[in-house]
Amino acid sequence: MTIIHNRSLDDIDDTAPVLGGNAITRAFSGGSLMRLIGMLVLILILGFLTIYPLSMLLYGSLHSTPPGMAGEFNLDGYRSIMTTQNLMILANTVGISLAKTIPSLTIAVFLAWIVARTDTPFRGTLEVLITLPFFIPPILTAMAWGMLANPQVGVINMVWRWLTGAQDPLINIYSYGGVIWHMCQYSIPFLFLFMVDAFRAMDPSLEESSRMCGASRWTTFRKITLLLMLPVLTSSFMLSFIKGIETFESALFFGLPAGIKVITTDIYESINHRATPDYQYATSLSFAIMGLMFLLVIAQWAVLRGKSFQTVTGKGFRPNVMELGPWRWVTFAFCVLFFVVTVVLPVGQLLLGSFFRFFGFYTYDMLTLEHYRAVFSNSEFWRAVRNTMMLGLLGATATMALGAVVAYISIRTKWRGRSLIDGMAWLPWMMPGMVLGVGFLWAFAMLPGPIPIYGTVWALLLAYIALGTPVAVRVMTGSYHQLSYDLEECSRVHGASWFQTMWRILVALAWPAFAVGWVLTFFGIMRELSASILLYSVGSETLAVVLLKLWANGNAEQVSVIGLMMMLLVILFRWVQLRFIKARISKL
Amino acid sequence: MASVTLENVTRMYGAITAVDHVNLKIKSGEFVTLLGPSGCGKTTTLRMVAGLEKNTGGRISIGENVVSDSDKGYFVPSERRRLGMVFQSYAIWPHMTVFDNVAYPLRIRRKSDKEIRDRVMNALRLVEMEQYAERPSPALSGGQQQRVAIARALVFEPEVLLLDEPLSNLDARLRTQMGDEFRALQQRLKITALYVTHDQSEAMALSDRVVVMHGGKILQVGAPEEIYRRPESRQVAAFFGTPNLLNAKVKDCRPNGGQYYKLDVEGQGWSGECHAATEMPRGTDVTVMVRPENLQIREAGEANGGLSWSGEISQAIFRGPHRSIMVKTPAQTLHVETPSLAEIGIGRPVTVAAPSDAAWAVRN
Ligand SMILES: Nc1ncnc2c1ncn2[C@@H]1O[C@H](COP(=O)(O)OP(=O)(O)O)[C@@H](O)[C@H]1O
Ligand SMILES: [Mg+2]
Repeated sequence: MTIIHNRSLDDIDDTAPVLGGNAITRAFSGGSLMRLIGMLVLILILGFLTIYPLSMLLYGSLHSTPPGMAGEFNLDGYRSIMTTQNLMILANTVGISLAKTIPSLTIAVFLAWIVARTDTPFRGTLEVLITLPFFIPPILTAMAWGMLANPQVGVINMVWRWLTGAQDPLINIYSYGGVIWHMCQYSIPFLFLFMVDAFRAMDPSLEESSRMCGASRWTTFRKITLLLMLPVLTSSFMLSFIKGIETFESALFFGLPAGIKVITTDIYESINHRATPDYQYATSLSFAIMGLMFLLVIAQWAVLRGKSFQTVTGKGFRPNVMELGPWRWVTFAFCVLFFVVTVVLPVGQLLLGSFFRFFGFYTYDMLTLEHYRAVFSNSEFWRAVRNTMMLGLLGATATMALGAVVAYISIRTKWRGRSLIDGMAWLPWMMPGMVLGVGFLWAFAMLPGPIPIYGTVWALLLAYIALGTPVAVRVMTGSYHQLSYDLEECSRVHGASWFQTMWRILVALAWPAFAVGWVLTFFGIMRELSASILLYSVGSETLAVVLLKLWANGNAEQVSVIGLMMMLLVILFRWVQLRFIKARISKL
Repeated sequence: MASVTLENVTRMYGAITAVDHVNLKIKSGEFVTLLGPSGCGKTTTLRMVAGLEKNTGGRISIGENVVSDSDKGYFVPSERRRLGMVFQSYAIWPHMTVFDNVAYPLRIRRKSDKEIRDRVMNALRLVEMEQYAERPSPALSGGQQQRVAIARALVFEPEVLLLDEPLSNLDARLRTQMGDEFRALQQRLKITALYVTHDQSEAMALSDRVVVMHGGKILQVGAPEEIYRRPESRQVAAFFGTPNLLNAKVKDCRPNGGQYYKLDVEGQGWSGECHAATEMPRGTDVTVMVRPENLQIREAGEANGGLSWSGEISQAIFRGPHRSIMVKTPAQTLHVETPSLAEIGIGRPVTVAAPSDAAWAVRN
């Protein structure tokens, strides 16, 4: 038995000439049967999470009526999306994403350089502070900015009018600028996390040798630093651009009121804001955006192929940071300013909003705790807290477990079908939350009656798992790559069975990555809005959904209270992560 | 080619003194090695010469020109010092081919295409890499990267070549071969070289002069043989190989006619003659250094002149070219290297002897 277990890690078909018989008999001997069943189950799970909603999306786009109603197959959906208005929407989507990616990348590069390569004071603390906005659900900052920069009663504009006596507002968040600005707040820390270790890990002697060859600092930066960083910069650019096309919150909050539409909000509107939801239109549009995403992912892959340089040598490193002299206080101030604008201002607004009777009327006699009382005595709020926590804990655990298994099989084994499951797990990468939401909407509705997923929390849970799986797989893949095969083999040579090996060595050593990925997924679930808004129903609301409903009812004060509660949760989890899980996300 | 002069060069990192008042003059065309344990300030010294690090005290000149004077606040940046440098990690740029790597310094200097082509190929020929010119540099082995790094450092005919542990990332065999090749190249081009290593055998094999450093200070400067045979302190003596270091007292001291003094010393249960650099009064505590390869094993009681100890063989290890033998004497256990063919019996009483010119005494 032990022998078979030991073998099952590598493909018996490939590596075991000692075993006689044909592939079939071998495949069904002992552990292989278990393996076969395991693989089948895995394929079924992944298929249900990815292929099934995708096919339902296709079905929906070709079918004239919503699920469950008699209808016919036609191409009306695709015909209906071919309008000049939608061309405008496409241009908006792409343009806004480009317009936020370029400044985000520039600022993120600057911040990464400050933190990784200069002697700016308190760099460690600054790094924690400037990455915090990444963990704040965008819906929170969206609402806070909606209040801060409201053209009539926003604090910023009120202060501006008071200072200058002007009549016109200084900024109007309900504009292209507002949408882009809100997206930047999230993508700058995201890009920072993505790039900072590349900056940190670059061997400084690559630049120093250029100086020794007679090149000035500036020439060195242009000809060496920039070119060495080009692969990282390109992939950051592509990633940020793709994410920009998927975003929902910024365009929902600041675009729609100003008549600025992007694809995700258009899908949302066609289901939620029309007299009768136009499902065929929504699914066709979803399919179209997936096509766009697919092209982008292909482009990304083509651009980056073979373009990554090993700039880390490990040996002979000196902690090389540039001495900025008095300028280091300028860079310090820049980082602090970033933190103030992206975290302190919005959170301050939530605080302010939560203690006054009416948003916008900040006078002493308006102070009140009634919103806190109202929120805490609201059963819908507590239900949403319970739902969110339950979905977060369960979803993060399930997603990471699935990701860990998929990554293990695709990296560490030579089993047949491993690229199939890897590919299936990666599929949601191309599907914006909104699209996956539409897909699942159909998928659950089409399920036979005895499986009542539609309209329950389980629907949300499944969608979250599907959305989180690509990242989970990536995080675990990174950690498996770092673990050497020797450790695993060593344990097995010493008599541990395959299962013991898995448990002792891999789980013990891969646990930090698992924990980091878990927290990341948890944060992802907490901020998820676009799929939730389509899949929730009464009883299964999440905090983000409750927030959106309150906001739509104009209850900015209670929104502030709930927002603060979520913010506390974010800070708590982030603190736990930094404190107890030493490995940083960017390490992976 | 130019000389390099360091006068009272100091580098502080906060309260830590990494390099402490170093004075050194490297003559034009000379090969000088900075040698010392890890963390003793070798790299920092080299980087200050390169201009990659500012000296917080003292003055550095290359040829006739001062390049850094901390008192006057004068500092010439690296790119204008005309120095070639080979880094420990080679620092070959992965986004360029071998040719582009080597051509980089010339392109920076805006040479014509033809000149670049000729000089790059010449430099590559020097390090026997001309057939790899069009290779992308990530596709090179460690030793090849090393050669490219040297070609790149030499191609613009720098005043001085600086090397920071260039061989430490290579395997032992390649290390010796590359070291010998590099020494030959340096002699042929008559280039001034400042070399950093923590490997004493590398330092001895390559250099005209070795600078032994410890804790940011220079302990001794001299030709390899000089330092090996006549260290100035117990620390320097202990740094090279595994010498026998014995405590003793001076009984008598007289000039030897030449540069050195002849001492009669007495230790615990032994006495004899040895040499020293300075005159020492009777009763001075000294350390006598005898290298294992200069000790001989004789039959018990047999001795003539020099130094001798009686004891018994406690351990013998066969090492191929020689045998390491431990002889237990009343003073301490002595390490002796004998030809590996000799027959050795454990527990046999023997006399260990050394000629007086193989024993070197330094003041404690
Ligand atoms: N950037 C730095 N900041 C603080 N201390 C440093 C720095 N660089 C080097 N040191 C210290 O200076 C000393 C000498 O370092 P180095 O010159 O690298 O030694 P070596 O090359 O001989 O191993 C060490 O104690 C090291 O810790
Ligand atoms: Mg060093």
